[in-house]
Amino acid sequence: MQQAIGEQDSVLLIEEAVTAALDPTWVAWQHYQSRIFMLAEDLTSRGLTSMAAMHQLPTIEMDDFVSLTEQHLKTVTWY
Amino acid sequence: MATPNALLVIIRHAPHGSNWLREGLDAALVAAAFGQPVHLLFMGQGILALMKEQSSGAPGQKATLPTIDMLEMYDIDKLWVAEEALQAFHIPSDRLVDGVTVIPEREIPNLFQQHANILNF
Amino acid sequence: MQYGLLVMGAPYSSPAPHSALRFAHAVLSRGHQLAGVFFYHDGVHNASSLMAPPQDELNLHNAWLELNQQHATPLDVCIAAALRRGLMNESEAQRHGKQTYNVFSPFELTGLGQLHALQQRADRLITFA
Repeated sequence: MQQAIGEQDSVLLIEEAVTAALDPTWVAWQHYQSRIFMLAEDLTSRGLTSMAAMHQLPTIEMDDFVSLTEQHLKTVTWY
Repeated sequence: MATPNALLVIIRHAPHGSNWLREGLDAALVAAAFGQPVHLLFMGQGILALMKEQSSGAPGQKATLPTIDMLEMYDIDKLWVAEEALQAFHIPSDRLVDGVTVIPEREIPNLFQQHANILNF
Repeated sequence: MQYGLLVMGAPYSSPAPHSALRFAHAVLSRGHQLAGVFFYHDGVHNASSLMAPPQDELNLHNAWLELNQQHATPLDVCIAAALRRGLMNESEAQRHGKQTYNVFSPFELTGLGQLHALQQRADRLITFA
């Protein structure tokens, strides 16, 4: 995924990808700072919300997910 | 390099491990059959779909190579592979089918920019 | 804006259908339209009317039906991917000499051309897989 991310792109981690909350040293947090997020409800269902908060990692709601897709012309899903 | 309504189909899965490759190629072929310009980008294990020595293995397994060979008939003549992916898999480019264009990985974000439509398989 | 969704994960094997449904409702509540949902790959299993999860789990098939009933969202299923996996409607069952079938309207078996048409018609196509 990371080789495809351009300078104007945003990254949203959903489903299992929110386990990234456990690793604040992951290079992507720094590299895509202020344009990488995790989906709050997927953190909640996995019991990772407080870990994300402790590591001060950015989370957004489902409504913000839609908002991101409004702002960007294209969305590519990696699975 | 790409026309406005061009479709970029990304293939990330190897033959026989799943049905992702077959159904990804089907999506590319159908778009081309409807006259849409289609380009393919092979990433990760997807590059294994381009091995020229592939043939039918166990009975009942459908080979992938005939579909790869068919792409040209559908005017799908851009098959991109990142140089870094070949290196990571230790695949010399002469082991791939003809017509593959090897590009540096840093070009990939540009490819994404240039295509109005992207499907990722 | 017009949104299209491509669903390629199977119900109860993948979180994709759940995520897609939640996203669909969020799209609608922000005032957008859903131009259609296309089911491909293992996502075609969402169209099976025979799924019977335990009562305390969401019936995903019914959740898609409700989306269709409330918002007239087209639910298109790739026919090649469906037939391979044993999903068919009455006319396909007849054609293939099967005694039973599991896909009913508003789920429609259709060609992959519909996916490309949806991608061209919609302002945004979002994949869940």
